[in-house]
Amino acid sequence: MMASGLVMLISVAGAVVAVGVKNIVHAIFGLGVSLAGLALAFLLLGTPFVASMQVLIYIGGITIAMVFAVMLSSMGKHESREGYRRQVLAAIVSVLFFAAMASVVVGTDFGALSPSGSGTLTPDELEAAWSIKAIGRALLDHYNVAFELLSVVLLLAIVGAITIAARHAQEPDPVFDEECDQ
Amino acid sequence: MTLEAWILFALVLFCIGLYGVLSRRNLIAILIGVELMLNAVSVNALAFNHFLAPDPAIGQIFVLFIIGLAAAEAAIVLSIILTVYRQRGDINVYELTDLRG
Repeated sequence: MMASGLVMLISVAGAVVAVGVKNIVHAIFGLGVSLAGLALAFLLLGTPFVASMQVLIYIGGITIAMVFAVMLSSMGKHESREGYRRQVLAAIVSVLFFAAMASVVVGTDFGALSPSGSGTLTPDELEAAWSIKAIGRALLDHYNVAFELLSVVLLLAIVGAITIAARHAQEPDPVFDEECDQ
Repeated sequence: MTLEAWILFALVLFCIGLYGVLSRRNLIAILIGVELMLNAVSVNALAFNHFLAPDPAIGQIFVLFIIGLAAAEAAIVLSIILTVYRQRGDINVYELTDLRG
């Protein structure tokens, strides 16, 4: 109970930093803290495999790629100046969405949704059903097509990202060159 | 922790991400907001799987697909942002009005 509350607090605090801070590099670090908290949350939900994938792919891959993109291109020099009115509007929309969804969540009886009544499995059975073995079996058996399609998508994404980013590599970077000249 | 607590936690994260997407002009800040929303969905899927359908580990498969697609999406978006930045020297979305009618 304590652990879950702490993990939720870490994730939400990191997320608040990620959207609230002007400096874009600090925002990315806030996102990293939030993602680490979420990896702990996945551990608490009983799936160490997904938690380790979260650490490897999200924290080790995506946030690092974002930091590289910002730092290699001097994008971080441009502090984003947000209009006050825009922030208030965004906050109103988010709070309204939260209120609507929260009222639905609080008003739903989730116990009645459970097909067989939750808690029918013993912890040992749950462990077996949620093991890496079960995930691997499901991925290569029932979800084989989706799994292979995902690998094609990833390959296309890599090739596409390289193509898009390298197309103008020969052309000079106006901002970067200007800074180098100084 | 009950299922309601986890869902409300995911909802808070999703709304923070929504606020980030709506309030920022910097393309990378918008990407950060989108990643937060995707992660909120992951928490939701795992919580529902853990509490309501404990037998098949389908929630974990869902989350693995979400993580894989988010990685592909981040790679493409970052390369597009780099291209936009190289051509214009700015990544403010309000400057990108070439297609405005």
